[in-house]
Amino acid sequence: MARDQIYVGLEIGTTKICVVVSEGKADGTINILGVGETPSRGVRKGEIVDFATVTECVREALLDAEDKTNVEIGNVWVAISGSHLRSFNNRGTVMIPEERDVITEEDLESVETNAKEVSLPSQNIFLHTILQGYHVDGRRDVIDPIRMECRVLEADYHIVHGIQTRINNTLRCVESLKLGIEDVVLSSLASAQVVITQQQKDLGVLVIDIGGGTTDYLVYLDGAVRHTGVLPLGGDHITNDISIGLKLPMQRAELIKIQEGSADDPIGSQGGFITIKNDPGFLGCEIDRISLQTIIHLRVREIFELIRRDMDAGAEGALGLMGAGVVITGGSAGLRGIASVAEDVFGTSVELTKSREIGGATQIFENPRFSTAIGLTKYAMAVSANTPEPGFLEKITDGLGGIFKRSSR
Amino acid sequence: MSMKTNTQLIVGVGNSGTTVLDRLAAEHPGIRSLLVVNNDSESLASSLVSDRLNVPEGDPGDGFRAIDPEFCKRIEGVSVVLLCAGLGGATASFLLPALATLAKASGMTVLASVGMPFAFEGRQKRDLAAVALKKLQSVCDAVSVIDNDLFSGGVPSTAPVGEAFKMADIALLASLTSLLGMLSTSGPVRITRSDIVSVLGGHAASSRFGFGSAMGSNRLHEALEAALKSPLFSAQGKTNALRDTTKAILFLSGPSDVSFAEVQLAVAEIERLTGEGCQVKVGVAAEAPLGTPLKLFVMMTSASASSPASVAPTLELQNSVEPVAAIPSKKQEQPTLKPKVVKPAVKGPTKPTQGVLELDAIFKGRFDKSEPTIVEGEDLDVPTFLRKGIKLSSPKK
Repeated sequence: MARDQIYVGLEIGTTKICVVVSEGKADGTINILGVGETPSRGVRKGEIVDFATVTECVREALLDAEDKTNVEIGNVWVAISGSHLRSFNNRGTVMIPEERDVITEEDLESVETNAKEVSLPSQNIFLHTILQGYHVDGRRDVIDPIRMECRVLEADYHIVHGIQTRINNTLRCVESLKLGIEDVVLSSLASAQVVITQQQKDLGVLVIDIGGGTTDYLVYLDGAVRHTGVLPLGGDHITNDISIGLKLPMQRAELIKIQEGSADDPIGSQGGFITIKNDPGFLGCEIDRISLQTIIHLRVREIFELIRRDMDAGAEGALGLMGAGVVITGGSAGLRGIASVAEDVFGTSVELTKSREIGGATQIFENPRFSTAIGLTKYAMAVSANTPEPGFLEKITDGLGGIFKRSSR
Repeated sequence: MSMKTNTQLIVGVGNSGTTVLDRLAAEHPGIRSLLVVNNDSESLASSLVSDRLNVPEGDPGDGFRAIDPEFCKRIEGVSVVLLCAGLGGATASFLLPALATLAKASGMTVLASVGMPFAFEGRQKRDLAAVALKKLQSVCDAVSVIDNDLFSGGVPSTAPVGEAFKMADIALLASLTSLLGMLSTSGPVRITRSDIVSVLGGHAASSRFGFGSAMGSNRLHEALEAALKSPLFSAQGKTNALRDTTKAILFLSGPSDVSFAEVQLAVAEIERLTGEGCQVKVGVAAEAPLGTPLKLFVMMTSASASSPASVAPTLELQNSVEPVAAIPSKKQEQPTLKPKVVKPAVKGPTKPTQGVLELDAIFKGRFDKSEPTIVEGEDLDVPTFLRKGIKLSSPKK
C-alpha cells in the first residue's frame, strides 16, 4: 500500500461541487486536509445540463481545494449519480476443470465475467460489479475461495449500470481540466464508506443520502450491498414546492426551508405565522407555518415512500431484516423532523449521521453535506491498497462489503 | 371482381364529422379521398369537402336507404374506410354503424374514430351514443373512442361552451390524422393495419391519446412530455391512471435522424408508465427532411370498467343485430334504456381534481424545462401538495 497517499474526491452535485483532499495514513486511517467548494450551476437532478458552466464550477472548486490544502491535484475519484443508473443482483457460475480441483484467481475472474453476461440496454455500461459472496459447491458465505477444493463455483454480485453518454459527460468535464480520473463511484456507495460501521452493514442497514437534486440509497445486508437506487428528487424539489406553494422566490424559499422548515407531520402542529421582511424587489409577507410544514412533509414522505416501494420490488424482505435500521445523510439530512417521517414510513429506527472515524477539521467531517466526497477518498484509499499489511485486508474487506473484488466500468 | 387497391376513404358523418373533415381538408389539402355525409344541407353546402352525400331529413332509416347506393359506389375499390363522427346525435348515431356494416359487408377494413358526448349534453345523448358505440364496435375492425368528458379537463372552466366542442373536434381530428399517418407510412418500423386492429379492436377498448412535437437536443423528452400532458391521460388528477392500460401504440415520425436510442427511450418510458402487462406496438416514420420536428403520438387502450365503451353493455338493446333496430324512434327509445351509469369516466371520490390538472401543466417552477421525473405515471416534478390536491393558505401581504 502506498504510504501517506493523497486522495482527492470530487462530487459534482446539484447544489454544490466539492473537492475533498484526504491523506491516507499507513495505519489505514484517513485524515481530511481540506475541502474546496463552490455553488453548483448547470447541474439538474445530479446530471450535467450545462457543460461549460459546470466545467468552470469544477475548476473553481479545485482551485479552492488546492489553495486550502497546498496540494497540487492531478487525479481525482469522481462520484456519479442520476436517475439513469440502474442495478440488479445476478449470480455467476463456473465449473472447475477436472484436471485441477482447486479454485484459482482465474476462476474468480471467470465467475465475475459470467455474472456480467446479461443483456444491458445498448446505450448502458457497467459501473460496478460488487461482490456479495461466493458459493463453493453449494456452501454459502465463503469469504476467500482461493485454493479451496471445488467443482462448481458460484458468486453473487450487485451490478450497477448506467447510460454511457451521461457518465461520459461527467468524465469529459473533469478531463477537460487536464485531470486524471482514477475511477467513477456510485454516490451512495461512496457515502456508505464513511457514514456507517461494519457492524451496521452486518446487521442490515439502509443508507439514504438526500442531496439537492437526487436521493441516493443503498441497502447492506449481511455485510454486502444488496440494493442500490437513485431518485431524481432532493432538497431542490422541496425548495421548489415551497416557492410554488407559498409564492416565494427560490432564494427566499431556500432560506425559509433552512431556517423555519420542518418535515414533521403538520397534524397537531401549533401553527402560527412566519414574517418575511421586505427586500428590494420583494414585498414582505406572512406565511402560514402549517402550510410550509405541509409542503415539506408531503414531499419528504413521498421520497421515503418511493424508496420503500422500490425496496419492496428490488430487495424483497430486506426492510424486515435491517437490524441497524435506516441511516440518513446528505445535505438535506439536516431538515428538522426528517427522521420522524422516515421512522413512520420504514417502521424502524432512524439515525441522522455524518462521516465517522475520520481525522481532520471536525466542521468538515461532521457535516453530512460532504459525506459523499469524503467517502470517495476512503473508497480510494481502500481500492489503492495493493500490499496490505497483515490483518488489513480483512479490515477493508469487512469495511467495504467485499467490493474490492469488483471491476468497475 | 376487381382487385382492391390499398386505398382509403375517410368519411365524416353528421355535423361533428363534417367539421372534423373540414379541418382535415384545410390542414392537409393533399388528402383527396374525403366524403361527408350529413342531413344538414347548410352544413354540407359550406363544407370544404367536395364529395358530399346529403341524407334526406326525417327518419334515419329512410335516410340511410336513400344514400345506400351512392355510398356503395363511393367505397368501390377502397380497401380501408375510416369513419369519423361525434356520437349522440340522431344522424351519426344511426348512420355510422349502418355505413360501417355496409363497408364491412363489402370486405373492407373499417376503422372508426368517434367522440362520446359531454355529460352536460344530457343523458339521452349519452345513452344513444353508448348504444351506437356498442353496435359500431361489433362491426368495425377497430374503434378509437374519445370521451369528451375526459378531454374537457383541458378546457378552462370559464371557457365558452363552444370552446369545449371545438376542443373535442380537435381531439377527434388528431385521432383521425394519427390513424391515417400510421396507415400511410412506409417508415423503417411500421404500424400495420393489424396492429391498429389489435390495439383498438374489441368491445372493451376505450382510447386515450396524446401527441407532442419538439426540436432540438432534448426533442424526444419534450415531445413525450407534451404528449403525456394530454388531459385524456391525466384526467383523473394523475397519470398513473395509465397503469390499467392493456395495449398501446407509440408512433414516432419526423426527420431521418430519429435515432434508435430515442425510439428505445420512448418505448421504455411508455412501458414504465403502463406497467408490465401492457403490449406496446411501435411505429417509426423517419422520412421528413432534417430540421423538421420530431412528432410523437401515443394511444393507449384499457379494459377499464369506467370506460365509455364498457358502459354500453349495461344498456339493454331491443335488437343488437340490425342497426336500424338498435336505434328505435324517439318515442320508443326511452323505456328500453336503463341508464345505470351516467358519468363513466369519473371513479372514486369526487374530489375536485381538475384544479390539480391545470396546475400540473403549469406549475413545475424551476423544473419546467427539465427532463420530467415520471414515476408510476406521476410527474414528480409537480409539487406533491398539488398532485394530492391539498389546499394551502395564501401568504398575507
